[in-house]
Amino acid sequence: MAVISLAMAASHAPGLTGWFDKAPEADRRIVRAAYDAIHDEIVASGTQLLIIVGNDHVANARVGDLPDFTFALSDRIQGPDEWFKPWLRVADYDLPGAPEAGTRLFEALRDSGLDLRGRTDGLRYDDNVSVPVTMSRIADTGVAVLPLLQNCTVPPLPDEKACYRFGEQLAEAIRTELPADLRVGLLGSGGLSHEPGGRRYLEIDEKFDRWWMDLLVEGDHERILAEATFDRMEQAGSGGTAELLSWSVVMGAVGPRPCTSLGYVAFDEWRCGVGAVRWQL
Amino acid sequence: MALDRFNPLLRTNDLVQDLKWDAQLRRRFAESQEQVLAEYPLTDEERTALRARDFLALHNLGVHPYLLSQLARLIHGTGEKTGSSDATTALLRSLLGDEYDGYMASRGV
Repeated sequence: MAVISLAMAASHAPGLTGWFDKAPEADRRIVRAAYDAIHDEIVASGTQLLIIVGNDHVANARVGDLPDFTFALSDRIQGPDEWFKPWLRVADYDLPGAPEAGTRLFEALRDSGLDLRGRTDGLRYDDNVSVPVTMSRIADTGVAVLPLLQNCTVPPLPDEKACYRFGEQLAEAIRTELPADLRVGLLGSGGLSHEPGGRRYLEIDEKFDRWWMDLLVEGDHERILAEATFDRMEQAGSGGTAELLSWSVVMGAVGPRPCTSLGYVAFDEWRCGVGAVRWQL
Repeated sequence: MALDRFNPLLRTNDLVQDLKWDAQLRRRFAESQEQVLAEYPLTDEERTALRARDFLALHNLGVHPYLLSQLARLIHGTGEKTGSSDATTALLRSLLGDEYDGYMASRGV
């Protein structure tokens, strides 16, 4: 029986790599420490496979045909996508994928009621995978990576309860379908508040972000699902904040429990509230 | 809400995705925009808005907001080393119209 060895979540945003140095040192220190903590936790937990759940910024399918979740089943995870290189300004990466484990999970979950796809061709990765890979130096850990790309912003999409339920099913599939003793980490990638391409493109809803972080630390998942709905996320920044649905997947996988905040920063020029958490397993 | 006007069937969405995915198409778009536009079954409203760089009109027609921001980058530059790029400025000027200067002043910019 495979085990979930790590459960964390963190923001991604092009500014975190593209213009990180624009932020005051105090903010940079918080963010560096948070992503360092992810690196250290991967190593300390003995994680062998890291599933990165993150928004597909309509980079891998038409807007009218975007699946709810896409399993990256390629042998290698390579990025960033060419289009994003001048924006992200990160080093190219070439990580070991997990096509066998990914296929088992995909097969186990394809009757979940959601629109799932498995893709063996190389997917395009932007800040969703490139930011955590770079900031948390994931290549240095030697861990295999399974990107699980999610539709967080193109309606219709699975809401917070559907994502939480999918997380529960994902955890069950990890435990029952993957090799015994395999140590599997879960990293939700996305959020916090932002509105890319909207009227509030320059704005961060710090009040919402701090409320969300406090809710997660408290760990009452029933309350989180009742109050931190997709609509509430949209109010805090349309078309971006709902990337927190990737955190909902991880929450569902680990079940009700408190977590530790690794810090939060609202720096306008990153155009996204930035925070990270680690669930206590 | 930014997603309220989104129309998944609007072909400008496909055009922006193709431009992101195909470097050769980007070059052709830069050199001969009309030729590229002619290859897509766009409505007259879409063509007019694209020619005018009218991001607000494109938003109202149904371009996904994220792709709208990507279109702004396609037109105004893909490189960015700051959070206040030409692409973002052009996009917000269009979306906010007459409110832009007051909005930016309220933000202390």
